[in-house]
Amino acid sequence: MADAIQKKLQSELEKYQQIQKDVSKSMSARQKLEAQLTENNIVKEELDLLDSQNTVYKLIGPVLVKQDLDEAKATVAKRLEYINGEIKRYETLLKEMERKSEQHREVLASLQQEFQRAQGLPAGKA
Amino acid sequence: MAVNLTELSLPQLEGLKSQLDQETEFLSSSIAQLKVVQTKYVEAKDSLNVLRKSNEGKELLVPLTSSMYVPGTLNDVEHVLINVGTGYFVEKNVEDGKDFFKRKIDFLTKQIEKIQPTLQEKYAMKQAVVEVMNMKLQQLHSQQTSQSGTTKA
Repeated sequence: MADAIQKKLQSELEKYQQIQKDVSKSMSARQKLEAQLTENNIVKEELDLLDSQNTVYKLIGPVLVKQDLDEAKATVAKRLEYINGEIKRYETLLKEMERKSEQHREVLASLQQEFQRAQGLPAGKA
Repeated sequence: MAVNLTELSLPQLEGLKSQLDQETEFLSSSIAQLKVVQTKYVEAKDSLNVLRKSNEGKELLVPLTSSMYVPGTLNDVEHVLINVGTGYFVEKNVEDGKDFFKRKIDFLTKQIEKIQPTLQEKYAMKQAVVEVMNMKLQQLHSQQTSQSGTTKA
């Protein structure tokens, strides 16, 4: 009886750990996006301060290429939009995963109790 | 969420302490990083002071690598190319460049000022946790010695 529960406990634990791993992976991905968002916001602020007199260059590989200010602004705006979308996507993903891991935690706790009871019974009889 | 530290058990306090350790570590490394970047901007701003009208046409040595220089002349003392992030460079005149660096330095100062109080708060919390831990340990210790004393007697 205790053996069967232990096996179940083991597999549940593995599942739970896998979810935890996924959660931390998504967390760090989200953090990276956050950093990119900040950087792009700073660039946007800078570009907004410029007028048509300033020349903008884009670094492509080792080469600086002249670029239109409006084009640069549009690129950054598009990037910001994309990053914001990605952050929202990760947020819902994380919420979902947290819900799942909560469920697993409950299952684990009840299994653990069961296991302790099953273990305690034969020992008590003996 | 006012939690009385004295009500927590030793392992809980241990966990809290390591968490606070991590947080203070993270915050102080963030501040250190911000300071490094700030120094860079200060240096860049200072070096703009060399770009004066009186220095136009003067000879200088341009570093091609860290160990090789080639002679050159200072042609343009009015314009600089500034990296504004994510691969974008903007041509600005010297005055605008100085403004740019000043803005960046102010921004970083504000960020550091934002983090500093949090760091101090976390540090004080850590101190309190350590204190309570020491107290608990002492209690445990005196309990054990008094117990062993009674069993011996």
